[in-house]
Order: sequence, then structure tokens, then C-alpha cells
Amino acid sequence: MSGGGPPWSWNLFTDLRFMWQYEFMRNAFEAGTIIALVAGLVGYFVVLRRSAFASHALGHTGFSGAAAAVLVGVDPVYGLLVFTMVTASGMALLGNRASNRDVEIGTVLAFALGLGLLFLSLYQGYATEAYSILFGEVLGISTAGVDFTFWTGLVVIAVVAMIYRPLLFASLDEDVAEAKGMPMLFLNLAFLLLLAVTISIAVQIIGVLLIFALMVTPAAIAVRLTKRAATAVIVSIVVAMTAVWAGLFIGFYEPYPVSFFIVGIVFVEYVCIRGMGVLRETEFLQAVDATEYEGVRSLRNASLSAAVAQALFVAGALFLTESLLAHPGAAWNAAGLYSHALLAIAFLVPAAFVGSVSFLLYFSGFRKMAASSRDFTSPAFLTLAGILGITMTVGGLGLFLGGVALNASAYPLAPVAILFGVPLLLLGVLLSVVGLFGQAVGNWRVGLRYEEGSLRTAAILTCLPFVGFAVAYVGYRRTLARGAPPTARPATV
Amino acid sequence: MAESSAEPLVSHPPVVSTPPSGPPAIHADRLEVRYRNKVVWRNASFDVQRGEFVAVIGPNGAGKTTLFRMLLGLHWPSAGVLRVFDGAPRRGNPRIGYVPQRHTIDRDTHLECDKLVRLAYPGRQWGPGQRFRPIPWGPRFNLRQEADAAEQALEDVGASDLASKSLGALSGGELQRVFLAEALVGNPDMLLLDEPLSNLDIRRSRELVEVIHRLVQTRGVTTLLVAHDINPMIKCLDKVIYIANGKVATGRPSEVLTSASLTALYGVRVEVLRDSRNNIVIVGGEDDRGEEGA
Repeated sequence: MSGGGPPWSWNLFTDLRFMWQYEFMRNAFEAGTIIALVAGLVGYFVVLRRSAFASHALGHTGFSGAAAAVLVGVDPVYGLLVFTMVTASGMALLGNRASNRDVEIGTVLAFALGLGLLFLSLYQGYATEAYSILFGEVLGISTAGVDFTFWTGLVVIAVVAMIYRPLLFASLDEDVAEAKGMPMLFLNLAFLLLLAVTISIAVQIIGVLLIFALMVTPAAIAVRLTKRAATAVIVSIVVAMTAVWAGLFIGFYEPYPVSFFIVGIVFVEYVCIRGMGVLRETEFLQAVDATEYEGVRSLRNASLSAAVAQALFVAGALFLTESLLAHPGAAWNAAGLYSHALLAIAFLVPAAFVGSVSFLLYFSGFRKMAASSRDFTSPAFLTLAGILGITMTVGGLGLFLGGVALNASAYPLAPVAILFGVPLLLLGVLLSVVGLFGQAVGNWRVGLRYEEGSLRTAAILTCLPFVGFAVAYVGYRRTLARGAPPTARPATV
Repeated sequence: MAESSAEPLVSHPPVVSTPPSGPPAIHADRLEVRYRNKVVWRNASFDVQRGEFVAVIGPNGAGKTTLFRMLLGLHWPSAGVLRVFDGAPRRGNPRIGYVPQRHTIDRDTHLECDKLVRLAYPGRQWGPGQRFRPIPWGPRFNLRQEADAAEQALEDVGASDLASKSLGALSGGELQRVFLAEALVGNPDMLLLDEPLSNLDIRRSRELVEVIHRLVQTRGVTTLLVAHDINPMIKCLDKVIYIANGKVATGRPSEVLTSASLTALYGVRVEVLRDSRNNIVIVGGEDDRGEEGA
């Protein structure tokens, strides 16, 4: 946001200390933390009860409330609170399932937006107020605002702690909870009021139009990662919190709105989680029509190519280190690298290529093995993640180097390239390690199935570059040479 | 049912028919029910003894679910007497376990089965959930009891291996077992099962009926089961409550499921046919349309 601040230093501690000099940034971080905590917590119930649309609509009625408050000259938060809580009470009184009626909610939502527009047109300072209510203006939170957010958040957390269990049950199995004598009207009202309060304070940071990113998506990510209720709540809070923190942090150093970064981070996380889930369920990962012998053969080729890739990678890394030591002042961009680390590039590029080929061969080998034993479906999945990892590493590195090479003042998108390149690179490296882990697990399981000790040794030696896969190659050769029938161990079903 | 000789039922302990001690589990006397101010059925008098396995059958909209809702105290009879374990029906009766027809649980419910069963455990319903200690290193709430009860309930329905699975990942038959465990977790004396077999094929239906029948025998729990097809369970039943045409007929299956008694119930000619495998097919009744399997 600052634009004119000191340049990004790549030293996180200096950067953080600089940022926290400003009171508005401290306020933003404090309020953001509380809001993320509350939104992640309440959001879990929103997802469980499938009232995402209701929460969206409550945000919109909050818009007209905030506009009305601006009109009469009080803090928009109070208008938000009053309007959302009245709407929430109305929803609760209309009936248990009213909060899931799309058409009614949509009608009220449109009316609320229109009303907000009217209030704003009556008020003269139209544009900025509307903008900050619709999209959030976290950097404008005052110290008093932080106090208000803190106490409201505390009340929400306390109430959730008290009604956690019955609310969970009523959200999960409404009919049985009703038959068990739970106070459904009370629980429904309590939940919607909690939702109203949470939305009212969350609007400060993210705005009514983007409320989904904090209320729904973190919890949606959490339920896909864990099936335990308490863990899901914690994951949801952590996702919301990291998104807010990272969003504020990036937003401070970049001239783009904080809300965008929060929404963007949450979105990318959701897409990754969903993508992994979809991949897991596709037929693509299921067993193919192939013999186990063919599987072991492609695994032999795969381990050879993996060993070659790692040898190339080690050589490339050594040359890179050497050139970095020799040219300490060299520019850290594509042109600089090209001039002083040509030899390293000559090794690293083929390493990436052969590495992805080896992942691909491993993947196809495990898929063929999966025809006989379900033990090999998860290694297949993990090696697939490895292919994705290498691709993302290369792409992220390209974006990053490109962003650094281009001049930020001439090309406004250059910082964005860096912005997306770095996380892509980190995620890619992480996924590549996951793929490596999948190869090790797969090697171990083949060794177990064929009682081939060298393969199990190879699995352990995977932590050493080159050596592990060289041993694995020998192991697969021995497995094939032995000609042992693949029925050495019965297929586990 | 001829297949059942090929795959024998699990050997049950010999049933010692304990004479019903005390009042009946359900006592209805000239009961009348209205739903949205329309009489659903009237003048129904029947008793269900303790430990009986009862099927509630009849066409759609006949008022089968309404009977359950009355027993649960969610719907009040408009006339007549209804007693549950010699008391007025009331909401939140811990002696009744209930499996509703429609659950809000579907493919997108990512939560452990174990958790659902635990949540249904009666007793402490308020406050935060598992492993909660108000004071660090202080005493825990009696969660062990809850965990044990949930484990036992899942074991009784043969679903121990589902405990840590996600609800959304279960098949229809597995889900019904978990719901059954959920109803069973507080050791109720009565189970009300609303169409637990509706989405199951014939084999899964029989398996589930077997589980329920075993519960009736070992736990002595009075069980009412709403179903459309009576064939999977006909051998285990003690009683049938047949609701149709605003009237209720009760009695042993062999008494109720006859052409004569159903003709009397519907007021038009109804035929009860039996095929070579002894499956029952009911013809006529609903506007004289053929309606298979009750």
C-alpha cells in the first residue's frame, strides 16, 4: 500500500519491523487476526449447515446498514451490526430451513443492495464510502475499532464454545436433534446472530462482496483436509489467519488492494486442495490393464532415469554454488545467471526434463502395479504430484526470474510476476519432494512384495541424491532377472 | 426368501420370549391424527408390546411418519389416547432412538462417523466437545463413557470398521448402519426407523434387517420400522401396522396381510398373492392400481 516505502529487502525480519512501525499496520494486523479467528470458527458451521448463500446475503444487508449509518453519521460497524442482526433474527424466526431457501434469500439480497444504494445516494461522499464497505478497507481501522473488534470477537468465541456441541449436532442431523429435544429455534437464532456479528466485523477487512473468502472458503478447505470436527475448525482458522497475514504483508509492499491478496491466496489454496481431491477420485489413478511384469519393467526404466536426473541435478547444483561463490556480486536474474552460471544451467535444465520423465515413468509403473495390488495407488498419486511439482518449480522460477529481469517502473506487472512466481516455486519444490517420497514408498512396497531387500535399501537411501535410485535400478534388474512370479506375496485387496 | 436357505442367517441365540412385564411399549386407543387440518387416519387402537419387532407399512402419505412424530412428541394427536411406556409422548424422550427418513448428510459431509454417534450420546449436550478440560491438567468431562458407548453402538450394528471413515464416503447400507448406531447410542428401549431400507437393494436390505433383528433379540428393544416392501423382513416380524385409506389395521403378519383384511381396510377388493418364493405381492388397493410388495 505504501508504494513509497523502503524497497522490499528479502529479509523478513527487517521487512516486518519496518511495517509494524506504522500504527495503522499494527491495527490492521490485530483486527485481522481476531477477524480471521472468528470467521474461521463460525465459517466451519456455515459450511456444515450449507448456509453459504445466507452468509453472503447477510453481508449484503449489512451493506445497506453501513450505508444508513454513514448517512446518519455513526460508525458503519454499528449500522452493519443492527441490520445484519435484524435480518438474522428474521431468518431464524421464519423457520429452521429458511436460511437455505435460495429464492427468498436472493430476493432479500437484491433489495438490501438497492436500499444501500439509495442511502449512499442520499449521502454526498458517495464513492469512497461505498468502495470501502463493498471491498473492505483494513488499513483504515482505528485503535478504537480494534478494541471493538476484539471484544465482539471474544463474545462470539465464548458463545460458540458454549453451544459448540449442540450446534454441531443440530447442524449435522437436524431431525434427530429435534427429536432429542434440542432447542432448534434457539440454536438456529444463536447461529445466525453469531454469523451476523462475525460478518459485521469481517466486513471491515474484506468488504461485503468478498465476505465469502473469509467466511466460507477456509472452512471448505478445512473439511477437505480433515474429517475431525475440532481439527477442521483449527485448520479453518489457520487458513483464514495465514491468508489475512500474508495479504496484509504483501499488500503493504505492493500497490494493490489487500482484499485482493486475501481472496487470491484463499482461492489458490482452495483450487489446489480441490484439484488434488479430483485427481484422487479420477479413473486416471485407478488400475490399468497391464501385467505386473510390465509394471516392474517401467519401474526399472524409471529408476534409471531418476538416477540420471539426480546426477545431473547434483552436478548443476555444484556448478551453481561454485559460480555464486566466484561471483558474489553477480546480478540475481536471468541475464546474470546466464552470464556466470551457464554450466549450471546446462545441467539443471536437462535435470528438470529427465526428472519429470522419471516421475512419469514411475507413475505409469505404479499404475500398472496397481492392477494387482491397491498398495500402489497412493505411490502413483504421489508421483503424479511430483510431475506437477517439477512443472510448477520450472514455471515459478521462470516467472520469478522474468519479474526480476523486467523493470518494475516500465512494466507494472513485473512485481505481480514475482508475487506469483515465488509461491509457485515454493509449492513446486514441496510437491517435488512429495513425489520423491512417493517414489521411495513405492520402491519399498515393491521390495516388500517381491522380497527384494535391495529395493527396500534403495527406499531408505532415497534421502541421498543419485545413490538411492542407482540402488533401486539394480534392485529392479534383480527382480526382473529372478523372474519370480508376481504372486510372491498375495495381492492385498 | 428362498435364497435365505442358501445363505443361512446368522445363528441367533434361542429366543426366550419373556412375557411382557408391565404396560405395553405403545398403547393407542381410538387415536385420531390430523395433518394441516386434514384427518390422516382415525379410530386406531393398537398395542405394541415390549421387545416386539413391528413393521409399519402402507402407501405414501398414509401417515406412517406422522405416527413416528407423535411417538416422539413432535406432533400431537387430535383425539384419542397415545401412551409410550405408560407416559405421554414427549420430545427428547431418552428411551426412544430415532432414524429419520431424510438426513442432511450427503457426499459433502466430511466428518467421522464416530463423531455423529458420539454427538447423539445423551447427557452432557452443552459446552465444547471432545477432550475439553476447563482447567489445564484438571479433571476431564466424562468423555470416556461417551466414547465407549459410541464404540459399543457401532459394534452392535457391525460397523466398528466405519468409525473413523468420513460420513460422505459411505455407501447407502453403511450409512444406514451408522444412523442405526446413532439411534442406539443411549441404550434406548424403543427404536423408530423411518424407511431405513428405501435406498438399498434386496441383499443390503436383508443384511440390515438381520442387524436390526439381532438388536431386537439381544437388547430386547421394541422396534418399529417403516417400509414399503415387507418381504425382506417378513420372517422376523412380530406385528404389522398397516396404515391405508385413513384406517389402521394391526396384528400378526399372517393376520393382516390377507386378502380379506386388506380388502376391509381399503374398502375395495385387494388381493394378496404369494409367488413361488413366498414373496408377498399386494394387488389393488390404491385406486385399484397394482402396487407391488405392499
